[in-house]
Amino acid sequence: MSAVMIARKGTRKWEKLPGKNTFCCDGRVMMARQKGVFYLTLFLIIGTCSLFFGFECPYLAVHLSPAIPVFAIVLFLFVMAMLLRTSFSDPGVLPRALPEEAAFIEMEIEAANGNVPAGQRPPPRIRNVQINNQIVKLKYCYTCKIFRPPRASHCSICDNCVDRFDHHCPWVGNCVGKRNYRYFYLFTLSLSLLTIYIFAFDIVHVVLRSVDSGFVNTLKETPGTYPFKPRLTGERSLWTPNQPRN
Amino acid sequence: MAETHSLQDLRQQAAIASKVFIQRDYTSGTICKFQTKFPSELETRIDKQQFEETIQTLNNLYAEAEKLGGKSYLEGCLACLTAYTIFLCMETHYEKVLKKITKYIQEQNEKVYAPLGLLLTDPIERGLRVVEITIYEDRSSR
Repeated sequence: MSAVMIARKGTRKWEKLPGKNTFCCDGRVMMARQKGVFYLTLFLIIGTCSLFFGFECPYLAVHLSPAIPVFAIVLFLFVMAMLLRTSFSDPGVLPRALPEEAAFIEMEIEAANGNVPAGQRPPPRIRNVQINNQIVKLKYCYTCKIFRPPRASHCSICDNCVDRFDHHCPWVGNCVGKRNYRYFYLFTLSLSLLTIYIFAFDIVHVVLRSVDSGFVNTLKETPGTYPFKPRLTGERSLWTPNQPRN
Repeated sequence: MAETHSLQDLRQQAAIASKVFIQRDYTSGTICKFQTKFPSELETRIDKQQFEETIQTLNNLYAEAEKLGGKSYLEGCLACLTAYTIFLCMETHYEKVLKKITKYIQEQNEKVYAPLGLLLTDPIERGLRVVEITIYEDRSSR
């Protein structure tokens, strides 16, 4: 019994994975090595949304409806959930062949190729497979030592074969494959919705304020000048040639 | 418990003679299905019927896992509405069937294959590419 118990406390599978991935939280989080662009994505989304919530939402909630910021918050949380789910989950990495299987495949390939005269390049390693009355060629992956299943591809950035590989997305910091395609698609869809929503309500906000106090005054009062307000009180503003300032 | 203990013992003591790899059967599309063709290396070890029955049951279980019906549709809609946070509490239908498959393979190993000196490896450990059957040396000690 003790031998089995010790085996369980040994190395986890993610610790032995030969690809170039980083893992966190005891293997629950799986990302690519380069994460810089992912942090930029996070910064852009959180930055623009917090500006919207900070400056536009108070006005819109009072003058139009409190449902507007509530829906924006729900949409923002959905976008963040999808982004984190896409970035942190396994895209569908195929485990590399263990030595016995690799040897078995090598023998199969050699048997199929027959004798290659010395000096000539051996033919490419291809396995023909019939799928629904169509012949599909499965390519051999030299790194993973497997014949890739249909629609699988090898990601050179993460150094793994991924099932139903779409692309490696630097914005998300991970490959997009079979197991996280759904989350990636929902992320792009909901982010587009959020962008359009924020843009539309920005325009509504500027229009409403302009109706109240005129377009030029709106530009003076709206968020672009908020950070600069304390500094402007003592100076003459370029926008107000007619109004003297104290 | 005592049975699995002796199974572990067998695996540790017996030497591996060779491994057979049952490939995927793509003739009916890209669904997960394994070839039921009986490999020649197993001819001396196991009954052809028994082997085919095991592989056929596995194929049926994978078909059940990938089945798209009303239940899986509802599960998907509910999950989407909760931004997939519901999967922190419950398992997907596919994961439930995968667990069932692991149990089935374990049970088959204990009842049928270990006494014959064979061991089935769960295909999920190999990325659903092959069913790996380890053939142990024929120890005629009794």
